[in-house]
Amino acid sequence: MEKNIILSVKDLEVKFKVRDRELTAIRNVSLDFEEGKVVAIVGESGSGKSVFTKTFTGMLDINGRISNGEIYFEGKDISKITDDKDWEQIRGKKIATVFQDPMTSLNPVRTIGYQISEVIIKHQGKSKEEAKQIAIELMEKVGIKDAANRYDEYPFMYSGGMRQRIVIAIALACRPKILICDEPTTALDVTIQAQIIELIKELAKEYEFTTIYITHDLGVVANVADIVAVMYAGQIVEYGLVEEIFYNPQHPYTWGLLSSLPQLGEKGDELFAIKGTPPSLFQEIKGDGFAPRSEYSMKIDFELEPPMFKVSDTHYAKTWLLDPRAPKVEKPKTIQNLHEKMLALTSKGGVYSDRDK
Amino acid sequence: MTETNREVLLDVKNLEVTFTNNRKKFRAVKDVSFQIYKGETFALVGESGSGKTTIGRAIIGLNETSDGDIIYKGKKINCKLSKEESKEMTRNIQMIFQDPAASLNERATISYCIAEGLDNYKLYKDETERQQKIDAALESVGLLPEHKSRYPHEFSGGQRQRVGVARAMVMEPEFIVADEPISALDVSIRAQVLNLMNKFKIERGLTYLFIAHDLSVVRYFSDRIAVINKGRIVEIAPTEDLFAYPLHPYTRSLLQSVPMPDPRIEKNKELIVYDESKRDLSGEKPKLREIVKDHYVFMNDREKAEYEVQLQKMIEERKQLKVG
Amino acid sequence: MSEEKLINEDSFTFYKVDDSVSEVISAPEYSYWKSVFKTFFSSKIAIIMLIIVAAVLLMSFIHPMISGYDNQDMSNINNPSEWFLRPSLKHPFGTDDVGRDLFDMVWAGARTSLFIAIMATVITTVIGTIVGMFWGFSKKVDIVMIEVYNIISNIPFTLIVMIISFTLKAGIWQLIFALSCTSWISTAYFIRVQVMIIRDREYNLASRTLGSSTTKIIFHNILPYLISVLVTSISRDVPHFISYEVFLSFIGVGLTERVASLGRIVQTNAKYMQSAPYMFVLPVFVTALISISLYIVGQTLADASDPRNHMI
Repeated sequence: MEKNIILSVKDLEVKFKVRDRELTAIRNVSLDFEEGKVVAIVGESGSGKSVFTKTFTGMLDINGRISNGEIYFEGKDISKITDDKDWEQIRGKKIATVFQDPMTSLNPVRTIGYQISEVIIKHQGKSKEEAKQIAIELMEKVGIKDAANRYDEYPFMYSGGMRQRIVIAIALACRPKILICDEPTTALDVTIQAQIIELIKELAKEYEFTTIYITHDLGVVANVADIVAVMYAGQIVEYGLVEEIFYNPQHPYTWGLLSSLPQLGEKGDELFAIKGTPPSLFQEIKGDGFAPRSEYSMKIDFELEPPMFKVSDTHYAKTWLLDPRAPKVEKPKTIQNLHEKMLALTSKGGVYSDRDK
Repeated sequence: MTETNREVLLDVKNLEVTFTNNRKKFRAVKDVSFQIYKGETFALVGESGSGKTTIGRAIIGLNETSDGDIIYKGKKINCKLSKEESKEMTRNIQMIFQDPAASLNERATISYCIAEGLDNYKLYKDETERQQKIDAALESVGLLPEHKSRYPHEFSGGQRQRVGVARAMVMEPEFIVADEPISALDVSIRAQVLNLMNKFKIERGLTYLFIAHDLSVVRYFSDRIAVINKGRIVEIAPTEDLFAYPLHPYTRSLLQSVPMPDPRIEKNKELIVYDESKRDLSGEKPKLREIVKDHYVFMNDREKAEYEVQLQKMIEERKQLKVG
Repeated sequence: MSEEKLINEDSFTFYKVDDSVSEVISAPEYSYWKSVFKTFFSSKIAIIMLIIVAAVLLMSFIHPMISGYDNQDMSNINNPSEWFLRPSLKHPFGTDDVGRDLFDMVWAGARTSLFIAIMATVITTVIGTIVGMFWGFSKKVDIVMIEVYNIISNIPFTLIVMIISFTLKAGIWQLIFALSCTSWISTAYFIRVQVMIIRDREYNLASRTLGSSTTKIIFHNILPYLISVLVTSISRDVPHFISYEVFLSFIGVGLTERVASLGRIVQTNAKYMQSAPYMFVLPVFVTALISISLYIVGQTLADASDPRNHMI
């Protein structure tokens, strides 16, 4: 099968200097991004999911550095770029990012129109007039009604959802190859979230960009993703097609994430909860980082880091449970027949009908 | 009308909260009435700006009300209270905040954070009892005694929220206003905090007002749900009824928007966008009225007729489903 | 492979760990003041400046005691051989037009000026902070105070100080009063804005739901967050008051001839700028040194006391 890899990460390691100590935030991550696909990176805060994607645009905080590994984009290893001028050729232009809080990406004292056309003028070399035309078209594309009139308004005059639409418009102004969406809807209301997700999906089709979606919301993942990478403690612990991850998960952490979904809880019963707390960067990790919280940890998990085991051509998981010598373990009961359970939820009988009897 | 022998713990009647900003008045909460029974979890669901947090804060006395009554155990509490009364209320009604990073004093140790309420009212005999209470509170939320001397920023989000729960629980309250207690937390941690709240509910017979925007959590956690939009309650129903027979269009769009963690369902769903301007608003002014027992919808006569037809259809469908 | 050696039959048996293990915080224990000092001393310039500040303070408080300098002792006034002596070992800063030792005079002057500046800063900061706290907290206080602020801040500071010094006659305490009499209001205003920014943060609401009084919230929740901005304001005020004393003495409304102060020295010696430049340059240099070193130490300390700078 011929795959078109647009971005390839090899053995990436990222370190941060905190209070005189060097802490490893990303530990040997390798991942290929297929062109045109939507990859969702799932993980909790501190798992390194944002740090990971920040390396694609050279936006690590000043105390962080790539200490090992390569990132290939368009045949070049971009992990070695140090000059900000070189980054400007990529950041925003070829790889754009939409962040969680739209206000951090918008300049509060500039008009919306100015901010969009500025990018078009800078990166596409258009004239002011042309840029304005394109900007208004873009604003309409992202669902701003009456765009021509709202062109001269300021960010504070827009609602949160509208601002995020503008950020998306700015990101698309340069026709990027890759769009990184870093929790783009976390700060928004559910109804607005649904609309923004829909918008990004439609735009991805039209503009043919690859989407990297960072989120911790499994509902969003189910909606947007073709491929899912689950991150824990600076590593990708499971990787596969979205259906494989939801219906045939292999890593105990993925099991835990799915089992603790409130949708699967029976009222009055205890919800499944992953014990403990994710490791902080200060913690030295030996073996499998999830082992101290796992219900399925074996002795070896505390001694040796597991390799990536292949489950199928598209599905990999980093857990010793997949070793042929390990005892056979089935995924927890709660998440067996996940699809049937979720279906039942959408059409579960109410109490009215019982009352009729 | 409703003959329940359940004890009403909190009765909110025609509540109105008005904010004044630069001499412009803004009614954040309009004519809101609901009752919370002892021992139940009552959820208030809505989007940001709907007024749900304002209601919660009005109950605990952080926001002033401009009209209506908040009655706790038969006593009006949204007025000037005596020192003794406000001490009583502080003990009985506690709050869990949304953002554990923002709701703890970063310059105070965990020990101070947890004992803050105890210290204010000297709810202990001596230092030994004070320490015992702090230790017990920490233990009850799964934290360690060695954490006492630490500062909030050294903890993970889930741990911090548990500190937030502990400092409310140490007051031994009867009623808790939980304002989106898990929405700022990571998915893997949410279940921990929910279980913790559940545990306290069972052990201590607590009553919760659970404020949320995420219907999937509410479904698991609450007994009755009120959906609020733009400062007005549009629908109140027992949890299963609301999910099975959502009637108000806003409730329906809200239910629809919450993504299900199931790729096959999600990839085939169609989005309903609620747009009030496109609704038929003819007829007299709508009110919150009961349509079936315990199920209230904000409607007028014309809408009531429509909803009744809709409801009948849904009940029929459901019967078919059960038979099939 | 050496890794393979680690694997034995036992490796693949289930192994339980204590739940509390993952609750342990492995980061080293945090202490606010320790971090402040560590951050402060990581700056080399700050250390040098701190040494200068310490030296200046010691000199101006100890030297006048040893030298027993008296500004009104003019024993050499009729002895021209002691006038206008250039700096030498005996007189490091030389002597002035009436034969007084300039070195002794400068340190005595520095003592007066520093005393005035520090006292004025302390008064300004204490009153300003307390007023600012309640001002930021209470809407009622705000309505009154904002009018007071508008009136006072619209009258030029120099004018107020001049009027007060004229009416109260010259003297150290009068000058301190004149300097701090209205300047606290700008500190108070500054604190008010800061308080308003953090007043409605969730942790303060949480304290209120736990029954904490406004005073308790002010001292436990707000004040610790203002350390950094307070240090910034102090480090601006001290040099500001020093230069004000110099300026006022220079235009002749500051202190009398009876006490030495940097301002007076600069003022009296300015006329010898051409004929005996050391008489003017050296006192100015000492004044500048005091102001700059104090300012830099203050600014670095302000940065160090901001916990956001403790992570790196």
